[in-house]
Amino acid sequence: MTSLVDSRPKRRSQPRPLAGFGSLLRFMMRRDRVRAPAWIASVVGLVAASAASIVGLYETPSQLQEYADIAQADAAFKAFAGPGYGLDDPTLGAVMMNEVLVYSFVGVALMCIFLTVRHTRAEEETDRAELVRAAGVGRLSTLAAACVWVAIINVVVAIGLTLSLLAFGLTATGTLAYSAATCAVGMVFIGVAAVAAQVASSARAATASAGTTLAACFLLRAVGDLGTSWLTWLSPLGWAQSIRAFADERWWVLVLLGLAAAGSVAGAFVLSMRRDLGAGFFKQRPGPAVGSPRLASPLALAARLQRTSLISWTIGLAIIGAFFGIVTDEAEKMLESEAIAEFFAQAGAGTPTELFLATVVLMTALTASGYTVSTVLRLRTEELAVRAEPVLATPVSRRRWLLSYLTVSAVGTIVVMVVTGLAVGLGSAAQLGTTADILPVLGATLAMVPALLVLAAVTVALVGWSPRWAQLAWAGVAISAVVGLLAETLKLPDWLRNVSPFEHVPPLPAADFEWLPLVLLVLVAIGLTFVGLGAMNRRDIG
Amino acid sequence: MPTAISMRNVVKTFGPTRALDGLDLEVATGEVHGYLGPNGSGKSVTIRTLLGLLRHDSGEARLLGGDPWRDAVALHRRLAYVPGDVSLWPNLSGGEIIDYFGRLRGDLDRPKRDELIERFELDPRKKAGTYSKGNRQKVALVLALASNAELLLLDEPTAGLDPLMETVFQDCISAVAAEGRTVMLSSHILAEVEKLCDRVTIIRNGRAVQSGSLDDMRTTTRTAITVSTDRPVDGLEVLEGVHSVRTEGAALRFEVDSHALGRVLNHLTAFGIRSLVSQPPTLEELFLREYGDDLAASEAAGTS
Ligand SMILES: Nc1ncnc2c1ncn2[C@@H]1O[C@H](COP(=O)(O)OP(=O)(O)O)[C@@H](O)[C@H]1O
Ligand SMILES: [Mg+2]
Repeated sequence: MTSLVDSRPKRRSQPRPLAGFGSLLRFMMRRDRVRAPAWIASVVGLVAASAASIVGLYETPSQLQEYADIAQADAAFKAFAGPGYGLDDPTLGAVMMNEVLVYSFVGVALMCIFLTVRHTRAEEETDRAELVRAAGVGRLSTLAAACVWVAIINVVVAIGLTLSLLAFGLTATGTLAYSAATCAVGMVFIGVAAVAAQVASSARAATASAGTTLAACFLLRAVGDLGTSWLTWLSPLGWAQSIRAFADERWWVLVLLGLAAAGSVAGAFVLSMRRDLGAGFFKQRPGPAVGSPRLASPLALAARLQRTSLISWTIGLAIIGAFFGIVTDEAEKMLESEAIAEFFAQAGAGTPTELFLATVVLMTALTASGYTVSTVLRLRTEELAVRAEPVLATPVSRRRWLLSYLTVSAVGTIVVMVVTGLAVGLGSAAQLGTTADILPVLGATLAMVPALLVLAAVTVALVGWSPRWAQLAWAGVAISAVVGLLAETLKLPDWLRNVSPFEHVPPLPAADFEWLPLVLLVLVAIGLTFVGLGAMNRRDIG
Repeated sequence: MPTAISMRNVVKTFGPTRALDGLDLEVATGEVHGYLGPNGSGKSVTIRTLLGLLRHDSGEARLLGGDPWRDAVALHRRLAYVPGDVSLWPNLSGGEIIDYFGRLRGDLDRPKRDELIERFELDPRKKAGTYSKGNRQKVALVLALASNAELLLLDEPTAGLDPLMETVFQDCISAVAAEGRTVMLSSHILAEVEKLCDRVTIIRNGRAVQSGSLDDMRTTTRTAITVSTDRPVDGLEVLEGVHSVRTEGAALRFEVDSHALGRVLNHLTAFGIRSLVSQPPTLEELFLREYGDDLAASEAAGTS
C-alpha cells in the first residue's frame, strides 16, 4: 500500500564516476559468454588455417623466392598485403606476414568495433541502460568497463595468435612483433569505436562510422604502399605494418599505436562527459512535425528507410570498383604467375585485361549481393521488431508490403551495379588511356543483375516459407562467393558450382553475351518470388 | 448489424501451446467492450486473430460482417488498432509516423490529429528513437483516435501512460463511444475497464470464463480496505459482506463485497477514520477466488 510507505524525499548524492565498474564488467562477460569465444575462435582459427596452408605451400627456399618475386613485382599484391617487408631475403615468416598481416588487422579491428559499440551505444538503446544508470552506476563506468572488457578479449586473441604461429615453428621475435602489432591495432579501434559511440546519432551509425574509418585506413595504406608512401603514415594500419615483423623489427612504432589508442579512448571519455544518455554528441535534429505527402505507401517508406544504406553501398562499391579499374594495367603482369593465371582462368577465355575485368565484375557483384540480400531481410527485421504488424493492420496487403522491400532491393541493386560498372570502366580508362572498356564493363555489371535478383528472390521465399530460417539467405551469398572465388582452388564439383546463380552469367567482357541464361535467371527469380508470396499469404505474422 | 465481433469456439495453437482454447466472444455494435485477463491469457492473440495477422486452427470468427482472415484488407479500412507493445521507426519523427499511417488508412483528419497531439502533450518533431514507452504508446493512440474507424481494437493501450494521460485517454474513448462507434479494450486493469466499459469478457488460459455487464460482475467483486481509526473498531466481523479481517500494527485490514461498501463505511465513521486506503482486488486475486477450484480441476484433468 503506497500510503504506508515513507515517502520523504531522499537526498541522493551523485555516484562516483566509476561506481559499479566491477559489476558492469561481470555483466558484460556474462552477456558475451558465447559471442566472445566465437570471435576469438574465428579470428585465431582463420589465421591458424592460413598459416597452415602457407607452411604447406612454401617448403623450400626456391618456392619462397618465387613467391617473393611475384609479390614484389605486383601492385595489386602491394595494395592488399603491404609493401612486402622482408621479401628481399624471404623467410617463411616474411611470406606469412605478407599473406595474413593485413587481414589479421582488419579482423581484429572489426571485432573490437562490433563489441565496443555493442556494450556502449547499442546498450544505451535498450531500456536497461536507464535502469543501470539510475541504480547508482557512475557516468563513466559503462564506457570504462566496455573498453576494458574488449581490451581483454583483444589480448586473448593476441595470445592465441602468438601460440598458433609459434606452433608452426616461426621465430619468437617475429611472432611477438606480429601479435603486438595486431593487438595494438585492436586497441586503436576500441578507441575509434568508443569515440564513434559518443558522437554518432545511433548504434548503427556508430558501427558504420567506425567501419568507414577502418576502410579509410585500409585505403590510405593501400595507396601509400603503391608508391605514395607518406599516405601510409596517415593510417594506423600502415604504422602497424611498419613494425616489420619477421624483418628487422622496429619496436618503437608500437609507441605511436599506443598513443593513438590512449588518445582516442581518452577522447571518448571527454566526449561522454558532455552528452546525455542515448543522445549523440551532435544533437539529433528534430524531424518534421508533419509527414511528407509522398510518404504514403509501404514502398515509399521502404525506400526512405533504405536510403542511407543504398548511398553507402553505392559509394563503397564505386570506390572499390574505381580502385580495381586503376590497377587494370597490372593484369598482364599478374597473369605471369601460374597460380594467379589459374584463378583468372575461372572467368573464361580472353585477353588478360578482359579476364581481369570479368573477375573484378564478379567480385563487385558478389559484394553487392550483401546489399541485395540485407535489404530484403529488412522484411524480417520489421516483423521481429513488431513494426510489420501495425502496417499490416491497415488496408495494406501482405503482398504489397513484401513487394515494397523487394522492389527497393531490386532497384537499388541496379543502381549499385550501374555506378560500380561506371567506376571500374572510368578507372581503367584513366589508367589505360582508352575509353573502349567503359561500355563493355557497364554491360558486364548489368548482366550480373539477374543473378543478384535470384538471391533476392531466394530471400523472399525464405521469409515467406520459413521466417525463422530467413537468415539462411546469407548461405546463398556465401556459397556464391566460395564458388566464384575458390571453385578451381578447391576443385569443387560441378553440381555445387551450378548452385551459384553467378556461374550462369556469361563472364563478360571475357566471353560472348548470351540472352538465354539471363532470361532463365529472371524467370527463376520470378518463380521464387511467387513461392514466397504464396507462403506469406498463408502464415502467421510475428 | 447487431454484432461487431463474434467468435465461436475459436482455437489457436502455437505448437504445444493452446493460446486460444475454444474462445467465445461477442461484441455488440456501438458498445465499449472490456476484454480482461491476466498476462499470457490470450488477449493479444485474440486481437491479432481478429486482425487477420494470425490464422486460427478451428472455430468461427466474424468481424464487421466479414471473415477476418480472407477479407483482411477490406476490413482494415473500417478499423483502427493500437498494439500492446508499440515499436516505431527510430529515425522518423512522431508526426511523420502518425501521418504515414493516416495515409495508409486513407482517412487522415488533420484538425483532429493536431488536437489529439496537443491533448496527449506529444512533441511530433521528436525522432521516435528518443520517445519513451509512454510516448510511443501516445503515437499509436493518436493515430487510432484520429481515424474515423467504426471499430477500435485496443490492446492494453494505457500501459506506460501516466495517470494524467490516462484521464485524457478515457475522455477520448467516451467521445468515441458517444459517436456510436465500437471499442474493444483489452486490459488487465479492472479499474480502467470499470470506468469505460458497458460489458466485459474475462479470459483465462484462452477461454472466456465470464462475460456480461459490469453490474453483474460487481456483485462478485471484493474491495480490500486498510483503515486506521481513533478508537478500536468492533463489530466489523459480524457485518454482512465483510471478510478476512485482521490487524496489522495500528491498521485494520479486511475485504468487503462491493454492494456492502456503503454500509461498512458508515459503520467505520463512528470510530473516527484517520486514514483509509481502498484497493479493488487485482484480477489475479479475483480469479483465484472465483475460479481457483475450476482451474485446479481443469488442470488436473488436462494432465491426466
Ligand atoms: N507467436 C507466438 N508463438 C508462440 N506462442 C505464442 C505466440 N504468441 C502468443 N503466444 C502464447 O500464447 C499465450 C497468450 O499470449 P498473449 O495473447 O500474448 O497474452 P496476453 O493476454 O498477455 O496478451 C501465451 O502463452 C503466449 O506465450
Ligand atoms: Mg498482450
